[in-house]
Amino acid sequence: MNGVPLAAYIALGLFMFTTGVVGVIVRKSPIVIFMCIELMLNSVNLTFLAFARYQMAGFNKTPENIQHSMMAGQMMVIFVMAVAAAEVAVGLGIIMAIFRLRDNVDIDEMNLLRG
Amino acid sequence: MNYESIWLVLLFPILGFLIQALLGTKIEKALGRKVLGAIAVLPIVLSFGVGLAITLGLKEAAAGPVTIGDWINAGGLSIPFEFVVDPLSMTMVLIITGVGALIHLYATGYMNEDKEYARFFTYMNLFIASMLLLVLGANLVLLYVGWEGVGLCSYLLIGFWYKDLANAKAANKAFIVNRIGDWGLSLGLMLIVALLLTSQPNLAGGRYLSYDTMLPALKAALTSHPDMATAIALLLFVGAAGKSAQFPLYIWLPDAMAGPTPVSALIHAATMVTSGVVLLNRMHIVFEMSAVASAVVCVIGAFTALFAALIAFGQTDIKKVLAYSTVSQLGFMFIACGSGAYWAGMFHVTTHAFFKALLFLGAGAVIHAMAHNQDMRNYGNLRKYLPITFWTMVIGTLAICAVGIPGVFGFAGFYSKEAILGGALANSHAQINGIQLGQIAGWVGLGVAALTSIYMTRLTCLTFLGKEERWRAIPALAADNHDDHAAEGDDHDAHHELDANHTPHEVPVSMWLPLVVLAILSIGGGFALANGNAFEHWLYPNPLPVLGTVSTEPTGIPLAIYSMIAALGGIALGLAFYLKGLPKNQGFDESSWISLRRAERDQFGFDNALTVASVEGGGDIARGLWQWIDEGLIDGIVEGFGTVSGGIGQLMKRWQTGYIRLYALMMLLGFVTLIGYFAFAIERGVH
Repeated sequence: MNGVPLAAYIALGLFMFTTGVVGVIVRKSPIVIFMCIELMLNSVNLTFLAFARYQMAGFNKTPENIQHSMMAGQMMVIFVMAVAAAEVAVGLGIIMAIFRLRDNVDIDEMNLLRG
Repeated sequence: MNYESIWLVLLFPILGFLIQALLGTKIEKALGRKVLGAIAVLPIVLSFGVGLAITLGLKEAAAGPVTIGDWINAGGLSIPFEFVVDPLSMTMVLIITGVGALIHLYATGYMNEDKEYARFFTYMNLFIASMLLLVLGANLVLLYVGWEGVGLCSYLLIGFWYKDLANAKAANKAFIVNRIGDWGLSLGLMLIVALLLTSQPNLAGGRYLSYDTMLPALKAALTSHPDMATAIALLLFVGAAGKSAQFPLYIWLPDAMAGPTPVSALIHAATMVTSGVVLLNRMHIVFEMSAVASAVVCVIGAFTALFAALIAFGQTDIKKVLAYSTVSQLGFMFIACGSGAYWAGMFHVTTHAFFKALLFLGAGAVIHAMAHNQDMRNYGNLRKYLPITFWTMVIGTLAICAVGIPGVFGFAGFYSKEAILGGALANSHAQINGIQLGQIAGWVGLGVAALTSIYMTRLTCLTFLGKEERWRAIPALAADNHDDHAAEGDDHDAHHELDANHTPHEVPVSMWLPLVVLAILSIGGGFALANGNAFEHWLYPNPLPVLGTVSTEPTGIPLAIYSMIAALGGIALGLAFYLKGLPKNQGFDESSWISLRRAERDQFGFDNALTVASVEGGGDIARGLWQWIDEGLIDGIVEGFGTVSGGIGQLMKRWQTGYIRLYALMMLLGFVTLIGYFAFAIERGVH
């Protein structure tokens, strides 16, 4: 409503997502990769919220519909955060287990599945 | 006795078999061999008694089959467990049990030194039971069961002294060659079912293979399908040739002499080998409908008779000579069956059972006395030591030589051989394209009769006559040419050895008594049965359905004179050659034999060639199949799948680097590509 246009949110989301993707691909530390994944998830969250705030065109803008679509966008964010939290718990557990086993968490050394 | 008690005949040998099999060794230990032997002989004697009583009570009107119960009911086909009681089956029952009982009695003496007395009589009783089932079964399936049963028992008995590899091989050979015949019989059986199911679909009770319903139906069906008659007849003849040792399936019979001599007498002379003739008599309607098949039967029979008679000249083993003479005589029976004189074939079966059992048992007595040396070149002048055996063997020889004065009296073989040759020469049933093969077979048979006289005289002279006692020259009997008894080794009795000071002894009473009985039958059996064609009228009271009345008296040929010349001339020739003893060029040095005799010794190379062709050729084919088809083709396909999959896997595994970051990159690229595609598609769709 005030000042910040939708495009700015989307641009920020895009930047965060790209940073996350590049981070996942180039970094070797699993912790950093995790952080990058979080970044990607959060960029998506941001986009959800932005779209929830700024209604899309071609949409029957009755107050009820506006209410519902805002709610839907925000609920999706809650879901994503919940899933991300669960994923972090599992992922960190795996990383701890690997560290105990090998004293090393370099992602490139975890190649037991190599053909 | 009522004919419905016929099952008793089969029951006794089966009980005997069970007793011998389950309790035999216990009885032997507890009560001794004499008791066990008596238990073995008793069921056969009882069967003979029952059979005789039923035969005497048999009425002119043919009795229906005696049904014991249901057996196979499949679809529209019904095969009950049923017995046929008619002159043909009762003739065979009397031969089997009568001659069988004598041979069992003989075997109690002959096998006395063998360790496995009970096992021997187990097989013998089972054999009698199987053979009785073969002739008594009122349908072809029961006949087939008996057929297989005698094949099995023959295998077991030929290989009785199985520790010797040669015996085991002979047993295998008999079994395998018989299997070829069984193949033909089973195909013929199926063809009959197939034909009757289609052409006579509503046969009474679905009993398509029972003689009483099948034979009339078959006549009707074959009238409309004459080609089927030839096909069925030839298939049945393959079966008959296998069991009855006709060329080229005769090869098992001479090898079957590896078994104990009573077995040779029982199976390979008197009973089992005649089952082919019985089959042809049972199914004569099929052969009557097919002149071609009958001609084939005649030709094969005549060729077998000639071929085996020639081979007999090259044999030095007394049992082998008799074996080939059996093959030869079986050829005579098939000449009769081919030319339509079926009853003459059965007549010869009967008389042959008498004199061939006698000859084999006599040979067994000689072998027994000569410490299991079977080579006739080692005999000589045995008449002095074995008088009973000698005289009975002479009677057997005269019977097989068909000696007789026409119209007055003759030995057993005289009448049956007359009937066979007369039947062959008087009929024109067996012909192909007008060539009277049956009559040609008759003339060949006449020649073979002369040959028979010569080689049988040779056997008698070499064994019993002459002044030389050649057995004195053999120090201790060498292992070669031994009866396979020696394979028993340890329990081989010491008194059995023979040396210069030890003369052969006449056999015990249990062994010469059967000889005397059989000799009496060989003298008078033919005369009694032929009396006014009594046998023919008994066996075939009505004219044959197609051929009508079959004459056995050729017009314009003085057959009786010819066969008398053949018999007496043959004997005279034989005496001229062999009376003085062993001719120089037939001695132990086989390289001094004339080449014909050497060829005869080797069966003209036939057996060898067949063995090479079948065993080695079969081996080559099997190896080829193994190496090319199995290892090459099938394994190639199966392993090919594996190799191709493996190769694909080798290529694919390069993608699986194990670098998680690479996977992530791939996912990204894939995702971007997908997005790009959809974006492009939407773009295209919009415009």
